[in-house]
Amino acid sequence: MEMKKNVGRVTPEECAEIQALFERKNGLAELAKIVTADNTELYEKLVKDMGETGTKFQAWWDEKAKKYGWESHPKGNWEINFQTLEITLVVNEV
Amino acid sequence: MDSRIVMDNKIRQDIPLWENGVAKNITFIVTKDCQLACKYCYLVGKNSKERMSWDVARQAIDYVLSQKDYNQPSVVWDFIGGEPFLEIELIDRICDYIKTEMYRLQHPWFNSYRFSFSTNGINYHEPRIQHFIEKNRTHLSIGITIDGTEKKHDLNRIYKKSGRGSYQDVVRNIPLWLSQFPGGNTKVTISSDDIPYICESVLHLYELGIKDVAINCVFEDVWKDGDDVVFEQQLVDLADVIIDHELYQEHFCSFFMEHIGKPLNPDTDNRNWCGAGMMLAIDAAGNFYPCTRFAQYSLRNKPAWIIGNVKDGIDSNKLRPFLTLDRTTQSAEECVNCEVASGCAWCQGENYDAADTHTLYQRSTAICKMHKARVRANNYYWNKLFRKLELEGRREEFEKQKEKVKNPVC
Amino acid sequence: MMLQYLIILLDDMSVSYCHYENPSKVRRLIDLDVLKRGIVWGMKENLNIQFVYPDDELPQEYNEVIESIDHTKIKPQGQDEDADVVVLTEWNGEDVEVKSGVSYIIRTTREKLRGAMSSVHALLKKVNRLNIVMTDVEEFKDGDIDDYKALLEELKECLVDLYGQERNVQLNLLTDRLLLSQMNNCGAGDSTVTLAPNGKFYLCPAFYYEKPMDDVGGLDVGLNIKNQQLLRLDHAPICRHCDAYQCRRCVWMNQKTTLEVNTPSHQQCVMAHLERNASRELQSQLKRNGMKLANSLDIRKIDYLDPFNNYNQWR
Repeated sequence: MEMKKNVGRVTPEECAEIQALFERKNGLAELAKIVTADNTELYEKLVKDMGETGTKFQAWWDEKAKKYGWESHPKGNWEINFQTLEITLVVNEV
Repeated sequence: MDSRIVMDNKIRQDIPLWENGVAKNITFIVTKDCQLACKYCYLVGKNSKERMSWDVARQAIDYVLSQKDYNQPSVVWDFIGGEPFLEIELIDRICDYIKTEMYRLQHPWFNSYRFSFSTNGINYHEPRIQHFIEKNRTHLSIGITIDGTEKKHDLNRIYKKSGRGSYQDVVRNIPLWLSQFPGGNTKVTISSDDIPYICESVLHLYELGIKDVAINCVFEDVWKDGDDVVFEQQLVDLADVIIDHELYQEHFCSFFMEHIGKPLNPDTDNRNWCGAGMMLAIDAAGNFYPCTRFAQYSLRNKPAWIIGNVKDGIDSNKLRPFLTLDRTTQSAEECVNCEVASGCAWCQGENYDAADTHTLYQRSTAICKMHKARVRANNYYWNKLFRKLELEGRREEFEKQKEKVKNPVC
Repeated sequence: MMLQYLIILLDDMSVSYCHYENPSKVRRLIDLDVLKRGIVWGMKENLNIQFVYPDDELPQEYNEVIESIDHTKIKPQGQDEDADVVVLTEWNGEDVEVKSGVSYIIRTTREKLRGAMSSVHALLKKVNRLNIVMTDVEEFKDGDIDDYKALLEELKECLVDLYGQERNVQLNLLTDRLLLSQMNNCGAGDSTVTLAPNGKFYLCPAFYYEKPMDDVGGLDVGLNIKNQQLLRLDHAPICRHCDAYQCRRCVWMNQKTTLEVNTPSHQQCVMAHLERNASRELQSQLKRNGMKLANSLDIRKIDYLDPFNNYNQWR
């Protein structure tokens, strides 16, 4: 069963940051499916970029969770609504 | 922790356009062929010969990505036909090239793009389509067109060769589509013969699991005497079911928008309805158009409005009339002074095609009586819904959550 | 605006007095009956009639019919005995014999004008009014701005010099704007309509020569200009915000370049604004020289050459 709870909100600027990282992360992941190692110019750049973007993405959540003190749960994850800027805790209890 | 967009689940509203509609829209007319020959289709020049070549597609992408004045933060790469999925191999190659080039050029659009499709859904399940979807999963927007009940759908959406209805071949793919795109919406087109089936068709789509139904009357002059009366009654019947069964909580139908049917101020509400000119469409010959509706296969009476091509680029003079269009300059006095003007839509391509001269500036009024009928039914819907919500003490919550009406992208 | 003028092309080879080229190679004189009916139609509509003449002389009976009504004669050089407006085809200014009260037109490209500036100076010394019609507007590039500016500057200096000698010549490109407080455009299809030798009406002669199928009625069926509102200033989204009042706002060039009669091309706007700005400099200089300009409002400084680029401000 899924439980959802509104646990906070971020500023529009903060939302724009994570949205851009989210989009870039997805873009890189889908690009990785078609860029092969023999395309050395792009491949090396892409691998490095994926690492850096993933780190920034995680850092955003860590930083904001600390800043706002969002409620958490061992079986849960947070979700952000890019329209409303709201953070929801989603808990999956099987 | 991951993130995703979460939809409100209390009162269903129109889904906001991706990037609030500020994205640049680039449309590839990859083919003018389709398995179907829908009776209401505005594409009068469909054929199986005009298929886009890879060379034209690549030149178009190179041109678009080199434009410095395309400063929109996001882009929607749109693929239409005919039926775009007939050209899935080409589309796959185009999308791969777009992704690679946006990344290689460090184009800002790499961080904000979508590939968008309007499909008849017939070959949606095929492995080659599914492979493409899997490959581009997080950047896709796919709309399958299904018109409602089998009877209503098959009235118009028939196979080109056999004349057989296509409902069964589409509906079998709806569960797969909705499992991949849970917020998937469909676009329903209403022509004169469809009017008696509107209510049952919208409800049928809801039953299929499609929660957002974008529906509109065709802009062409097809309406018969009395159509508006039947249309109004269909919408009133639909309003009753939606409200009595509280379907409004999870479902949306674009016929019912709270802010339509009001007068518009000629000075402050003077924006053009249509986005033609902000978009760029490319056909198989490599010609550029302000919107697909200005390509020759869309036009009955007028010559194509070509604004350039992949070799020479865009002739900005031919875009100027689009970019300076406003509501009042193109409208007849009866429209400027209309008491129920808001929400009355127009298609710039149809205006051009139906105009008495070679102009964008003559707004077609063929839809007038249908809009007025819609406004009356819409008033009924909101009066009834507000009354119900007040009785249940939920009006305040509703008011807080509702969004203002937006111009749809056609 | 209501219809005020009727232009009657007396022949397919009537002289061009405006931006368009006349491609006709064969004479086709208007039927005498069509001419008579055209004149009667103009009288009934209370219009001023302007006859546009070909190179060759007209038969005497035509002249008699024409003289039956007040009118203006637009004639090519060489046929200019009793003309009101003369189109100069060869314009070595030193050689041209001019008459008082007659307006002269030269149709030219920038390149040709640059090479013949001394002839223009000579003409300006003699005529009351000279209209310079640029025939290469469509080819104008942003890289040509300085070149056209320099040409206008030279013409301006010539006018300052002549005004200093109290010779009050008019030059459309530079002096019209000084006297205008609102748009004064060509008015094709709005204040003016053209009757062609085929008995049909056109927005202007250019439409007849370029697209003879695009008539707007005829003597048999009457005048029928569809979407006539689009020919009015209030239905021209760019022009109604513009103060290059001297601009011809040529609807034929509009349709050719932007595909809309109510929308000017970038080229037409830039050239008109260079003329407007040169008029402003002329105005300043004449004022500095102590000249009093009747009915001349100050032309303000602006920072654009194409009002389209400002459209977000006036939308």
